[in-house]
Amino acid sequence: MRWLREKAVLIFACLVVLYMLVPIFVIAVFSFNDPAGRFNFTWQGFTTEHWGNAFGIPELTDALLTSIELAAASTVISTILGTMIAMALVRYEFRGRKATNLLIVIPITSPEVVIGAALLSLFVYAQVATGFVTLLIAHVMFSISFVVIVVRSRLIGFDRRLEEAARDLGADARTTFGTVTLPLIAPGLGAAAFLAFALSLDDFVISNFNSGTTVTFPLYIFGAAQRGIPVEVNVLATMLFLVTLVAMGVTVWQQRKAEKLAAVRPDEDADTGFPAAKEPAATPGSAA
Amino acid sequence: MRAFAQRKGIPYFLLLPGLLWLFVFFVVPMGFMFGISLYEGSLDTTFEFTWNWDNYSDALTNYDTQFFRSFLYAGVATLLCLLLAYPLAYAIAFKAGKYRSVLLFLVVAPFFTTYLIRTYAWQTMLSNDSFVVDTMRSLGLVDTGVLKTPGAVIAGLTYNFLPFMILPIYASLEQIDKRLIEAGRDLYSSSRTAFRKITLPISMPGVIAGTLLTFIPAVGDYVNATFLGGPNQAMIGNVIQSQYLVTKDYPIAAALSFVMMAVIVALVLIYIKFAGSESLMGEERGL
Amino acid sequence: MRRTSQTARLIGAILGLIACATLAAGCSDLGAGGLEGPTQTAEASGGKASGDLAISNWPAYIDKETIPNFEQKTGISVDYTEDVNDNNEFFSKLQPTLAERDSAGRSIFVVTDWMAKKMHDLGYLQNFDKNAIPEVNKNMIPTLQHPSFDPERQFSAPWQAGMTGLVVNTAEAPDVTSINDLFEDPDLAGKVTVLSEMRDSIPLIMKADGIENPEDASEEDWLAAIDKLSGAIESGQIVGITGNSYINDMARGDVVAAIGWSGDAIQLQADNPDIKFVMPDEGCIIWADNMVIPVGAPNPDAAYAWMNYIYDPKNQAPIAAYNNYTTPVTGVKEIFEKSDPALAKSELIFPSEEYQKNCSTQPDPPRLQTANIEKAFEALRTGG
Repeated sequence: MRWLREKAVLIFACLVVLYMLVPIFVIAVFSFNDPAGRFNFTWQGFTTEHWGNAFGIPELTDALLTSIELAAASTVISTILGTMIAMALVRYEFRGRKATNLLIVIPITSPEVVIGAALLSLFVYAQVATGFVTLLIAHVMFSISFVVIVVRSRLIGFDRRLEEAARDLGADARTTFGTVTLPLIAPGLGAAAFLAFALSLDDFVISNFNSGTTVTFPLYIFGAAQRGIPVEVNVLATMLFLVTLVAMGVTVWQQRKAEKLAAVRPDEDADTGFPAAKEPAATPGSAA
Repeated sequence: MRAFAQRKGIPYFLLLPGLLWLFVFFVVPMGFMFGISLYEGSLDTTFEFTWNWDNYSDALTNYDTQFFRSFLYAGVATLLCLLLAYPLAYAIAFKAGKYRSVLLFLVVAPFFTTYLIRTYAWQTMLSNDSFVVDTMRSLGLVDTGVLKTPGAVIAGLTYNFLPFMILPIYASLEQIDKRLIEAGRDLYSSSRTAFRKITLPISMPGVIAGTLLTFIPAVGDYVNATFLGGPNQAMIGNVIQSQYLVTKDYPIAAALSFVMMAVIVALVLIYIKFAGSESLMGEERGL
Repeated sequence: MRRTSQTARLIGAILGLIACATLAAGCSDLGAGGLEGPTQTAEASGGKASGDLAISNWPAYIDKETIPNFEQKTGISVDYTEDVNDNNEFFSKLQPTLAERDSAGRSIFVVTDWMAKKMHDLGYLQNFDKNAIPEVNKNMIPTLQHPSFDPERQFSAPWQAGMTGLVVNTAEAPDVTSINDLFEDPDLAGKVTVLSEMRDSIPLIMKADGIENPEDASEEDWLAAIDKLSGAIESGQIVGITGNSYINDMARGDVVAAIGWSGDAIQLQADNPDIKFVMPDEGCIIWADNMVIPVGAPNPDAAYAWMNYIYDPKNQAPIAAYNNYTTPVTGVKEIFEKSDPALAKSELIFPSEEYQKNCSTQPDPPRLQTANIEKAFEALRTGG
């Protein structure tokens, strides 16, 4: 009885996790389905044919490629811009800190419908035709805030004395940055970039408003959902899921490695006389 | 510890590109949207700027049902998310031991299947002839369909926004010094009281952040209502989307967006006053 | 206190910016409206067509062989996008580009009659160079040659024609024969949808209420029908106003009877043989989806080559066999009589006068009240 009560929370947690995974499981299972008609609702037989033909629908593949290109471009730009802001916020004093915080936070807390609609209003007013470029602008816009938050939390846990040590050894600001700072915050940047990529790849609402005739992967799915989603979509979605899972695993593993590097090891203290450093706690925010 | 000599212009140089992008593509569009909400006319008869505040009163009177529905569905979904997420976050933070990373992975993983496909999968799973609904029917939980009901839409919202609730709560729970909890247990001689008096209050910022990060996007969502609901479950997001993309009645659409934003901004400001924007941003005090 | 004044200044700054943007917005005209000037003709260059051809069409409207065969025969590379799910949605997406005389790379759209007319009236289409499309001129079936919106077929050529009526799961809903059954049969409650194509759904409802010719209906008639639909939605009898997605709902079994399109019923039979197209007692609505050439089309020559190819009965036959809509090309029936006699008898592909005796062509609402009526209908979609 006591055992049940103690474990109750854990059991409940596992149930919730299972609940979260059910649709994923369904999607993956149905990627092996062999439907007779256009619809993939009832199980009609196992086949790996669609996995073999995953890129067989040109429109779908084009949409996926467009999404990937868009996500890549958006990631690069937003990671650079966001990291710059994060560095300024953590390491420097300046006026307008509150305004900056506000400007970063409000887009995250605005519903996507409003952001998408507002951007469309801008483009309508400026008579700019919507398409890939407007999509890129939109995606960078909503990614910047997330990048700032992730990189910020990494920078806060960063041990500045390493940089000091480098400077004491004679390195100038640029070398310090290039050989000490950047490699150590790289996992944080990686996590932020990964998040920006995922957000862009998955975005539907804002893209729906600003895409014009460009078709991204989620937009293709929305259109296809009207008349029956082909099995290849399940296949690609499952593939994406697995790829991102692996990528996430690699990112977190690298992060762990970098954390170990960034903290001064306890047994060195006896030699150098530096006070022992705490192991920085694993920051889950950077994995999300 | 600002050990470097600080050159004056650097922070502004670093801030400028990103903030400028945000300004031009977020703040300014809001302004234009506000301007457009004061137009009058239609695509066929051309639009005219006439300080047409009627758009706002029209928006509020014609669509009050959808507004109310959106806040209701989002509110219920947020509550459900909280009830599901808190124990889960607690378990991962304190009870998972070496499985912590695995559980975190699994929690975040659904995020990486396209939002639409997840919702579409629910549509399939909740359809009349599906295994799930058949079971529910035999258990007497439902007698007709599940789809195209408020319940289905709320279930979809809850499912899709659960990670947004879990992660902030987890983050704030995880950083609690376990010795505090131990001390509390010793002091109160009951782990439940220790939870109530120590863990829960310290985790409140996470709860509040999670609540806002769930409620706000849920209010404006229209994907769940599209896939899982019918015309009687249309949310304000559906109306905005329809007006912008199908009817192209930009003035009304803009007015609707602004009214929704206004209510949400009011909520955010209340929160900021309550908890301080620093904790929303996660800035540590005294740094 | 410093904090308050800082916040106040922040808010003041934001409001000031919004005010500026508002004033700036006030000076623009939102770029709406049509193009000036007479409709141009897309002249054929006279040489052999080549290059790329981008087409926008409705989903599930073409078989798998036609495009590869066309590409092989002509050397033209076809970029075929199925992005027309609803006339209004498609128009909304394209309108800003079309207003700039840019067709977003497409040389052919396929839109329903009334949308073709609307686009033409706004100056977004080009006229055909009739000399370049001999097959079309020769092979178009007589009943489609002189529609009221384009009497000389100057800017439109039917892709397929079709009928809107009842699509019914005859196993679950065996007694549905009239539109009124959708409204009145309590067994169907919660399992019925109608089309978001207003010019299909509302005229059918009007016909079921005794207005034989919806072309003559007044604004009151339209609004009354919309009102009737609104009542049925509120009561939960009708649970959807959909574009193509009703097909999804029917395949899943969530919908058992719907206002739908003739060819869709056949396509659904692959998943559920009980689903059939039922001609309503009061008749159906007849429409056509038309190929049009937009302004700024990059390759009209290729477009003409495509149209000629499609209007050759040999090439049309597989398309007709695939989608089971009414074919606009003469000579296809003879081909089927030899190769697939069952198809030759299909009332859907080759509707007889008898079959369509109560049907009406798809009407437009009274011109001056169109905006009003469309607004009332659109409000239903979002439960207003």
